[in-house]
Amino acid sequence: MTLTRKTFPRLGLALLGLGAAAPALAQPGTYPRNGVYDQRPGLYAFTHATIQADYQNRLTDATLVIRDGRVVALGPTATVKVPAGAVVQDLSGKYIYPGLVDIFSSYGVPEAKAPERQGRRGAGPQFDSQKPGAFDWNQAIHPEVNAAEVFKVNAEQAGAYRKLGFGAVLTQQPDGLMRGTAALVSLNSDRKENEVLLLDRAASGLSFDKGSSTQDYPSSLMGSIALLRQSYIDAAWNQRNPKREQNLSLLALTQQKSLPALFEVRDKNSALRADRVGDEAGVQYIIKGRGDEYQRLPELKTTGATFVLPVNFPEAYQVEDVYDAQRIALEDMQHWEQAPANAARLKQAGVAFCLTSADLKDKTKFWPNLRKAARYGLTEQDIVQALTATPARLLRAEGEVGSLQPGRQANFLVCSRPLLDEANVLLDNWVQGERYQLSTLPTDYRGVYAFRLGQQPEQKLLIQGSKPEAPELRVVPTAGDTVKGTLAVSTELATIVFNPKDKVKGKAAKQPANSQPAAGDPGAIRLSGYYAAENKTFSGDGQLADGTPVTWSARRLDEASRQARRDSAKTLPPLVLAPVTYPMGAYGLSAAPVLETVLIKNATVWTSEKAGKLENTDVLLSGGKIQKIGKNLAAPAGARTLDGTGKHLTPGIIDEHSHLAIAEGVNEGTQAVTSEVRIGDVIDPEDIGVYRDLAGGVVAAQLLHGSANPIGGQSALVKMRWGATGQQMKIADAPGFIKFALGENVKQSNWGELNISRFPQTRMGTEQVFVDAFTRAKQYEKDWQSYNKLSKSQQAKAAETPRRDLELEALVEILHDTRHITCHSYVQSEINMLMGVADRMNFKVNTFTHILEGYKVADKMKAHGVNASTFSDWWAYKNEVRDAIPFNAAIMHRVGLNVAINSDDAEMSRRLNQEAAKSVKYGGVPETEALEFVTINPARMLHLDSHMGSIAVGKDADVVLWNDNPLSIYAKAENTFVDGREYFSLKKDQELRQQRDKERQRLVQAMLAAPKATPGATQPPVARTRGFWTCDTLGQEKEEKE
Amino acid sequence: MQKLLSSLLALAPLAALAQVPMPAPPQAAPIVLVGGTLHTGTGQVIDNAAVAFDKGRLVYAGPRAGFTQAGFEARDISGQQVYPGLILPNTTLGLSEVEAIRATVDDREVGDLNPNVRSLIAFNTDSDVLPTVRLNGVLLVQPTPRGGLVTGQSSIMQLDAWNWQDAVVKADDGIHLTWPEMVIKTNPAEDAAALTRRQEARTHRLRDLEQLLSEGSAYRQAPAGRKENLRLTALGGLFDGSKTLYIHADYAKELVESVRLAKRLGVQRVALVGARDAWMVLDFLKQNDVMLVLNRTQALPRRDGDDYDQPYRLPAQLQAAGIRYCLDFQGDQETSRGRNLPFVAGQAAAFGLTKEQALTAVTLSPARIMGIDKDYGSLEAGKSATLVVSKGDLLDMRTNAVTQAYIDGRRITLDSKQLALDKKFRAKYGLE
Repeated sequence: MTLTRKTFPRLGLALLGLGAAAPALAQPGTYPRNGVYDQRPGLYAFTHATIQADYQNRLTDATLVIRDGRVVALGPTATVKVPAGAVVQDLSGKYIYPGLVDIFSSYGVPEAKAPERQGRRGAGPQFDSQKPGAFDWNQAIHPEVNAAEVFKVNAEQAGAYRKLGFGAVLTQQPDGLMRGTAALVSLNSDRKENEVLLLDRAASGLSFDKGSSTQDYPSSLMGSIALLRQSYIDAAWNQRNPKREQNLSLLALTQQKSLPALFEVRDKNSALRADRVGDEAGVQYIIKGRGDEYQRLPELKTTGATFVLPVNFPEAYQVEDVYDAQRIALEDMQHWEQAPANAARLKQAGVAFCLTSADLKDKTKFWPNLRKAARYGLTEQDIVQALTATPARLLRAEGEVGSLQPGRQANFLVCSRPLLDEANVLLDNWVQGERYQLSTLPTDYRGVYAFRLGQQPEQKLLIQGSKPEAPELRVVPTAGDTVKGTLAVSTELATIVFNPKDKVKGKAAKQPANSQPAAGDPGAIRLSGYYAAENKTFSGDGQLADGTPVTWSARRLDEASRQARRDSAKTLPPLVLAPVTYPMGAYGLSAAPVLETVLIKNATVWTSEKAGKLENTDVLLSGGKIQKIGKNLAAPAGARTLDGTGKHLTPGIIDEHSHLAIAEGVNEGTQAVTSEVRIGDVIDPEDIGVYRDLAGGVVAAQLLHGSANPIGGQSALVKMRWGATGQQMKIADAPGFIKFALGENVKQSNWGELNISRFPQTRMGTEQVFVDAFTRAKQYEKDWQSYNKLSKSQQAKAAETPRRDLELEALVEILHDTRHITCHSYVQSEINMLMGVADRMNFKVNTFTHILEGYKVADKMKAHGVNASTFSDWWAYKNEVRDAIPFNAAIMHRVGLNVAINSDDAEMSRRLNQEAAKSVKYGGVPETEALEFVTINPARMLHLDSHMGSIAVGKDADVVLWNDNPLSIYAKAENTFVDGREYFSLKKDQELRQQRDKERQRLVQAMLAAPKATPGATQPPVARTRGFWTCDTLGQEKEEKE
Repeated sequence: MQKLLSSLLALAPLAALAQVPMPAPPQAAPIVLVGGTLHTGTGQVIDNAAVAFDKGRLVYAGPRAGFTQAGFEARDISGQQVYPGLILPNTTLGLSEVEAIRATVDDREVGDLNPNVRSLIAFNTDSDVLPTVRLNGVLLVQPTPRGGLVTGQSSIMQLDAWNWQDAVVKADDGIHLTWPEMVIKTNPAEDAAALTRRQEARTHRLRDLEQLLSEGSAYRQAPAGRKENLRLTALGGLFDGSKTLYIHADYAKELVESVRLAKRLGVQRVALVGARDAWMVLDFLKQNDVMLVLNRTQALPRRDGDDYDQPYRLPAQLQAAGIRYCLDFQGDQETSRGRNLPFVAGQAAAFGLTKEQALTAVTLSPARIMGIDKDYGSLEAGKSATLVVSKGDLLDMRTNAVTQAYIDGRRITLDSKQLALDKKFRAKYGLE
């Protein structure tokens, strides 16, 4: 590279040194300066370069002119006039790209700190925000934080970004649910904050992680979602009712509503969740993902979101040990292989994306990883677009960054080769017209030289070797053998040493022990000098072995001996995408099971209807429904026939009380009333429990909030549609349900001595929570009713409008009987209490679940009309279950209640038929009725019995074929159908196991074969366990069970 | 009125029944159970059998036709099934009453090295839970301490006794060792240093353990003039085979590692407890003739990707490999749910065992592993008359209905607090 401005202070730096500060400012700004002002024109012309003006347009032999930090001209070298006074750089053979933009960073922003907590740490619950100021009630909602107000130029961080090629970043404080605004700043670290800030409030930031907030609420993902929803509602309400309260957080939220919103999620399922929150609030989020988007692509495409993708591809696992390797989840191994293909898959699907260096711990992997990603089908254009034009467009900053055009920031990269080329070296990163030198190409001195040493006849000097930075020296005398020597060149100053005895041929002379030159050793000749590029000659002075001064020169003759430059034309073959299954990992399906017409012949059919058990009966499933029941049915064309001889067909089992398939928290529980949270927001369709339930004949479940508080969250009623999304698992048109709870869990009896401050702590207080909640709900409804009665103009004039409250809204639904209560309960006193409150406040308790003392008050329950869903034989694990008896179900059933047996347990869920069978043993319930405890009865209590829960014509084709009496311990589910699709069969299970083993073996071999050139290129095995929820699991981490 | 009256009559004996039933007196006269189907526990099934016992000992167990001795009171159990009393190994029964109430829990002592701590001391014969367990056919249990590294000693107890001394079948049968889990990353974000720290902590514990066992082994060889050390004394039986070392471990590599250490240090009798990954190291277990006390088969697979029926199927895999094993019920709510032991055996039968093999896994096999098979575990002449009679298949909840049970020939009272509550509230509603 030719540098025409010698004063440039970085020139003297080492070969690969980084740039230092250069206060070459054009305009002083408002800041006074210490010393002599140094205002330079900043006028440069870069000629003869290949210039990528934007991701689409490339100019060859082009010239770029910048002045004072901005582009002033760009075009063919032939037509662009270089202004007088410009520093000219000839960039022949070099490439220029627009400076990259990282849309996800926290550059220069301090880490968020929680406000000081009153009292000692870990001193029990924190209900209220401890943040000073008139801000939101919740510490995790702080849209008022502006990155532009807290960021500081940071040379080290900026340097790290620039090294990767970035010229600007969007920076934000990555903390909390509503994080505040992000600022677009350039990465010039030699200027003041005021000058590098390109765009204040360039975007707003959000996430589901409450971050530094020490406040208890929210403690779960569903709580985070509810809080975000309520905050949007509150912002609108606050805007209309400013006199009611001054909330600076909500004010900020309102003000930033039109900004691009950047939502960071933990995985692809949460990307879908975020988008749903956005849809409701009328905001289209840009989603910063985890890099696993390929696992849910069709649905993610429908969000319409642009994704920000990290390039932190996992390292291969160390799989040498057979047993340790077995502990690595298959989906983790698959992710190793698939992560680099993620961006290519999004491209294929037509989903817009940016790329970010965020999440990448080892930043040196940025370019290698991008190159790896490219091998799956990304072009240089795609990658440049994702790192320039797309982020610029999203941030509405196209006028500043992302491309090179007159008027835009002079942010660009000078490269030795095309950007993705393996041999490319990022030479200079110009930011706002400031040059940051990243590396220099070593000067290549290799060649043949005419060598003159003093008065000696001309010899030849060869400079050779495979790398220009490691030249090898040979002196070829006019007569005699070639001699080895050394050459060191640094900033054109050269040193040569050689000893005529060091012949290339023959053995090197042994070094004598006393370090004295051996007899006959002529001694080394040392030459110092410099290289003059203009006449391609080294020259200087030196000393012969005896100290005689001598002058020397070496004039370059040709470059013939130079080795062919390693050319990156060596293109690696494109990589093939491995198939995706839903979900990834073991038992994943490549597509949902097909909707079949199936005729089950000659089975014992347990109808769970009045008809009871029908021997030797056929059942026809078609179109997802039960089409016919009868004897000797003919198989329609195309139907599959299943021989049911000696087998039993039952309705699919319905688990009334399950905590399967729930992501990041089963309990909100940080407040006594959390009816605003919804399990339906956080269904985790990848829980292996879903598949295991299918293997146990379970087709549907109520996914319940936990029992940590009196009024918990809203349930989700789902079918076990393995491989679907959370939303697709939901039963369409299912009525609303909600969890209530009583007893030891809600009064925190077994939670240790720190948890003694949340109301209620007694059964007395529990009653008052309900009375208070429904009193508030009634008032809330009244307020809205009177407001809704007003005419439009009256409403507009009203001094105040009611606030929409998601918590009370759910309770109003209960009062209207459109949402049904499933109440966790144990002892009789509290059961009677809740029915009493319900009677007084005019609502119904739909179901008491657990209800282990239901047998004591079955008559009262019958009078209230409540359903009972209980355990078969649990007792004696805590004080309130000391009087639990396994005869409970039988007694309640005989008194006339609608009784179900539920699991509340991932293990028990998959053999609920056995739990139902215990009612035969304990209490002598007839077998068909016992089976109804897990089929039609739970369907009834979930208000699903019109289309589920029994084998009747027209009902959903949710059936199970068993090899034995379904109530027997010896019974095994052989085929499980959901909606007429065979989601499980023993045969398919075998195939999926084989597929799993094959896939695992393939990946083990691939990992063993993966190049391990660099240390840290592999990672130790990770035995990630999914864990499981129970009713009283708190927080977002599941209990581990392996 | 009639109904009310009968309800009141039914209520009359409730006051007495709400107590833990009174232990039965010793067998007074010879008894023969006739006409039932005999499941010997050794794999045999004999229809129309006679099971005769006197002074607590079986005199005969075989085809009815083969029993001719006079002087036995015949009890007709035609249509019913007779089984050896089930044996529940590795349980907290009797040590823990209500899990959530600390005052009622005596199953874990503080400290890492407690070989001298003995479970039988805390065994509560007045537990409300014990009678409910007997009702499903479990008559012998092995109360086992939890926690720590060397957790303490178990004993074998029978479930019909006035106090723990009466209940002892075999005192201090073995020492339990909770093998420290091998260190592996479970959180992808864990850094290398933290991983190393965990590894070092484990190594340290294993060193402590090895040192304790080595010193215990040496200590017993020099009994004269030594200073008494309770811990080392307690370990003595491991090296002469009088006590079993029960190693609680699950992960495949831990199974190998722990057994090798025990053998290297001269432990004579080794049993693995838990052993949920045993299917991965069948050859090792076979070659080293390790006994297994398998964790509750009604469990979730250990890894998400494992076969859904792996825990159900494990007994059949061991059976096929010729490995000695029995079944336990350790895990969630293990005290109160221990009565489901017969059904974990039944579950194993649904997944590969024969029904009689499944029965052996909860009768003779545990008796052998715990070293009480001379007296218990099968119905054979000369052994203890510890047996249950059920209307139907004992291993299936659909048919399990115990009508009579005998411990050492004593016919125990089949009642419980739960039955009393059932009666009381059925009476309330006028239900039969």
